[in-house]
Formats: sequence, C-alpha cells, structure tokens
Amino acid sequence: MNTLIYTSVLGFTTMLMEVLNLRKFIVPLAVIGLAVIFGLNLQDWNQPSTHFNDMLGVSNFSVAFSGLALFITMIILVMAGEYYTNDENHISDYVTILIFITAGAMMMMSFNNLVMMFLGIETLSIALYALAGSKRFDTRSNEAGFKYFLMGSFASAILLFGIALVYGSVHSFHLSLISSFISENSTLPPMFITGVILIGFAMLFKVSAAPFHFWAPDVYEGAPALITAFMSTLVKIAGFAALYRLVTIGFNNGTPQTDQMLYVVAILTLLTGNLSALAQDNFKRLMAYSGISHAGYMLLIVLSAKSHVSSTLFYYSAAYAVAGLAAFSVALPVFKSTGSELLSAFNGLGKKNPVMAAGLTMAMIGMAGIPPFAGFFGKFYLFTKAFESGLFYIVLLAVINSMIGVYYYFKVIMAMYGKQPDETQIENPLSYQLVMWVCTALSLIWGIVPSLLTDLLL
Amino acid sequence: MDSSLIFYLLSALSVVSALFVVFSRSPIYSVLSLIVCFFSIAGHYVMLNAQFLAIIHIIVYAGAIMVLMLFTVMLLNLNKTTEPHKTNMTKIAAVISGGLLMLTLLASIRAEKLAAYQSPAPSELGYVQHVGLKLFQDFLLPFEISSILFVSAMIAAVVLAKKEKH
Repeated sequence: MNTLIYTSVLGFTTMLMEVLNLRKFIVPLAVIGLAVIFGLNLQDWNQPSTHFNDMLGVSNFSVAFSGLALFITMIILVMAGEYYTNDENHISDYVTILIFITAGAMMMMSFNNLVMMFLGIETLSIALYALAGSKRFDTRSNEAGFKYFLMGSFASAILLFGIALVYGSVHSFHLSLISSFISENSTLPPMFITGVILIGFAMLFKVSAAPFHFWAPDVYEGAPALITAFMSTLVKIAGFAALYRLVTIGFNNGTPQTDQMLYVVAILTLLTGNLSALAQDNFKRLMAYSGISHAGYMLLIVLSAKSHVSSTLFYYSAAYAVAGLAAFSVALPVFKSTGSELLSAFNGLGKKNPVMAAGLTMAMIGMAGIPPFAGFFGKFYLFTKAFESGLFYIVLLAVINSMIGVYYYFKVIMAMYGKQPDETQIENPLSYQLVMWVCTALSLIWGIVPSLLTDLLL
Repeated sequence: MDSSLIFYLLSALSVVSALFVVFSRSPIYSVLSLIVCFFSIAGHYVMLNAQFLAIIHIIVYAGAIMVLMLFTVMLLNLNKTTEPHKTNMTKIAAVISGGLLMLTLLASIRAEKLAAYQSPAPSELGYVQHVGLKLFQDFLLPFEISSILFVSAMIAAVVLAKKEKH
C-alpha cells in the first residue's frame, strides 16, 4: 500500500519538475526515487496486511513482485536517459507515464478486489497505448498505438462484462467472497462461469496468449524499442501476477472450467509462439513471439496453482525479465547505430564489438533456458512443478517447444558470429553497458544460486 | 401502467437502437441512435431506483461523450457512407466467433434459474447520499486511485497531441 503511494507521489513529482525547469534532473531523480522506494517496499516483508476494506492486500507475494516491477522500471529509466537524448521536450511525460504504469502494475500485484484489478489494468494499458504510439511521425508506431488501443479497449470491455456477471452471482467484488462462493456452491451458476471465462479471456489478451495474441507482434514491432523492452518484461509479468492472484485467491486455485480453458490456451500459445518465431527476421517481432511462447510456459504455472507455485512464478518472471532487459540493452544501441531493426543488423557484431555480442549471446542462452543461466532453472522448476501436478502431456509438449525455441534464439547468435560485418560502427553508451552488465550478472548469480529467489515465497 | 410493460418497451428500444448503431452505414446516424440507446438504458436505471446513476449516465454519456463523438465525426468529415471493404474470411471469422459468444451467453441465461421479477430495492437506494456514502467509505481507495488513471490518461493525450517544436 505504502509502496503504491510513494510510487504515485514520485510520478507526480517528475511531472511537476518539468514545470520547475529541472528537466536535466528528472531521470536521475526518478531512478534514485525508485531505488529508495525499492528499499521502503522491503519493510513490508513478512507483514501481511489489508487496506481500505480489503481493497488491497499486502503479502510477501505482492512485495516480491512490486520489488521486481520497481527494479525493471529502474533499469528501463536508466536506458531512457540515453534513449531519449534528442527528445528532451517529452522526457518528463515519458518518465511520468512509465512510473504511473509501474503504479498500475503494483495494483495488479496486490489487489483483493476486482475493482482494484480493473483500475490497475486500465492504468497500465491506457498509458501504454500512448507510449506505443509515441513516435508520432512513424506510421508503424501510429499503427501500433492505434491497434493496441482498439484491441485493448475491446478486451477491457469484455473484462468489465465478465466482472459484472460475476458480481451478479456473488453480489460482491471481493476475491475472498468470490472464493467462498465457489466453495459453498457445489454446482456453480452458469452466469458465474460465463463471467469467469470472460474475465479469463481479457486477462489472456493482456498477457498475449494465443488465440488472443494477434496484437502483440505488430505492437512490439511498431512501438519504440525501449517501450518494447518495457512491454515484454514488466507488462507481461504484471499480467501474470494478476492472473495468478486471481486464480489462487479468487477462484480457489482454479475451477474445472478455468483449468480446461487454460489448458487449451497453454497448448495453443506454446505452439503458436514457437512455430511463428521460427520465420521472423525482425528482432522485435522475434521477441514478441518469444514473449508469446514464454506466456505459454507461464500459463503452466497458473495451471498448477494448486501446488503453491508462487515462488516458481516469481523466479521464472525474474529470470525472464533480466534476460529480456539484457537483450534489449544490446539491441537498442545496435538499432540506433545501424538504423535497422532486422536480425541482419546484428551481422558480424562478434567481430565489431565482442563484449556486446557476448552479452546478447548470454541473454539469448538465458531465454532459451540453457544452464548456467537463471532461465534454465526457471524452466526446470516450472516443468517439475507442472509434472508434479499431473500435467504430463503438456509438460512434454513444453519441453519439445523449448527445444524449438533454441533454434530461433541461436539465429541471433549465428548472425553475430557467422555473418560478415558491414562498415557501420556501433556506439555503445555507458548506461546501456551498465544495464547489460547488471542484468547478465543477475542472470548468472540467480542461475548459480537459485535458492536466493526460490526460497523467498512459499 | 404495468412496470414490466415499460421494461419490455425500454429493452426493445435499446436493442433496436443498438442494432441500428452497428448496421447504419452513416456514422452520424450511428452516433444519433447511440444517444437513443443511452437514454433507454438510463430509463432502465430509473426503473431500478438508481435515479442518480440515470442522471449521471445521461449527462456524461449522452451529453459529453456523444457531443465529442459528433464533433469528431463532423470535424474529420467522416460522414460518408463508404465502408472499407472487408474480406470474406474476416466476415466469416467474425460471424463464427460472435455467434459462439452469443450462443454461450444465451445458453447461460437459459440455464440460469432466474428469480421471478420483484420490485427493486427501496426507492431511496439511488439517492445521492447513499451513492456518496458507498463511494467515500467502501470504495474510497478506487475513487482516489482513479485520479492516477486520469492523470496518466491526460499526459498520454498530451504526448500524442502536443505540437512539435522544431
């Protein structure tokens, strides 16, 4: 709760600094502020509490995920200082919106009431529609923003419809009352089930699971690369934290109906994400499809919610986030120097700049799930937990899919080491290097000592 | 007059006007029939003793938002009856998925044991003070938090619309 208030205050502060003509200090202040909030957030550890008539519930789950959200935003802001060097007029708007999105993500990680969930999702999405379209003189960015806006508002409408049907049956928005409604009624009313499924549709849209994924590749490709990095890390993680919280606290670890739906969607998502990624030649589109396939893996965690897997979800999210951020910290300067976002932009990077190439290689290996990086143990714990919950066939499918995944992640590595370099020099500013080192180090540390994160949540 | 008769009249009106919004070829007629639809829904609110909500609904939706939409249609000169051509595949996919959703909803309404129509909650339920008490006691946090949503939406609008300085 306090974390949410501090973050919102920080957002308003950065907004007002533009008025006070302190434009130069906005990014440093925001980064330091988020670091301070990260520390203050830890004070709530092991002190579960509920606030404002059980609207928000602070638990170790919400503290851990809020910490991750703050960390990701901090990294993104460090890169934003460099990314927006020629766009000083807008820097305060962008920073403020990014911080407000983090506040929305925190609501999605700590809600105990469907109203708060809806507000969190909307705060996150509406700001993101504008950021996706923020390159205003680029048609692709316009298309991304508009497409995301239309599809996203449609999904929000479906979400509201579902919430209304659930409210009609339960007469309350509180997750605890929905949960007791499910356990008290042996046969659930059809209206309630329809409502739950509609809420599920909207949530699956937000995490870009197939067959609700059609927006993701276009939006990821058209949005400014920094925003793509933000979408593929924080937004996806917030969506899954919300979905997991909804299923565990609200729906009693999954009703038979939601389990059936998630099962089918997980299979579809795994296949669509991985098979479509094979044919991509644009790095951002590749990351979009890779994000869809990761959504498929994370759906397995939600499916096995009965066996208390919040630590697995957290570990997987953290591993996925640092690998994604490390990959984009290399990709951003390459895009800027070469002016291209295709995979061919990485041609010969191994000769031109071995350090960057090594960083991207490690990020890709981490995403593919090869030891010793955290991505491997994320997948390992995920498959083990899902197997223990009796999801045999789908785990088998997921293992096959992660092998397919190795192929397209190695396409990037092959381009860097196997192809001849061209003339363009790659400028790599200090802040990108810093982000790359920090994220790769974290990925390695969490991979070697997984118990640092896995023992956090029960 | 029998209240169920009014209910059926209002329902028919809202369904017909909503269909007109979708099927009308001219955007202006769509917007105008949407206004009719909003008014009939406001009538439903009155029937349920939610007078305050009905008034707010008319002021905000039929008033502010519809005027905004009309202005957009007029300023951008969208009042043409041409429609972008859609492929048959899109149409078939849309009909199938929309039809499946409708089937699910109708089936769940049919299977639901709906209680017989009874007179709604006490007539003072929809008064401003009851709405206010609920809003500022039970729903205080969402009320305050929505200010963050609105501020970020406003900044987002500024980001997209601010005049570029060169």
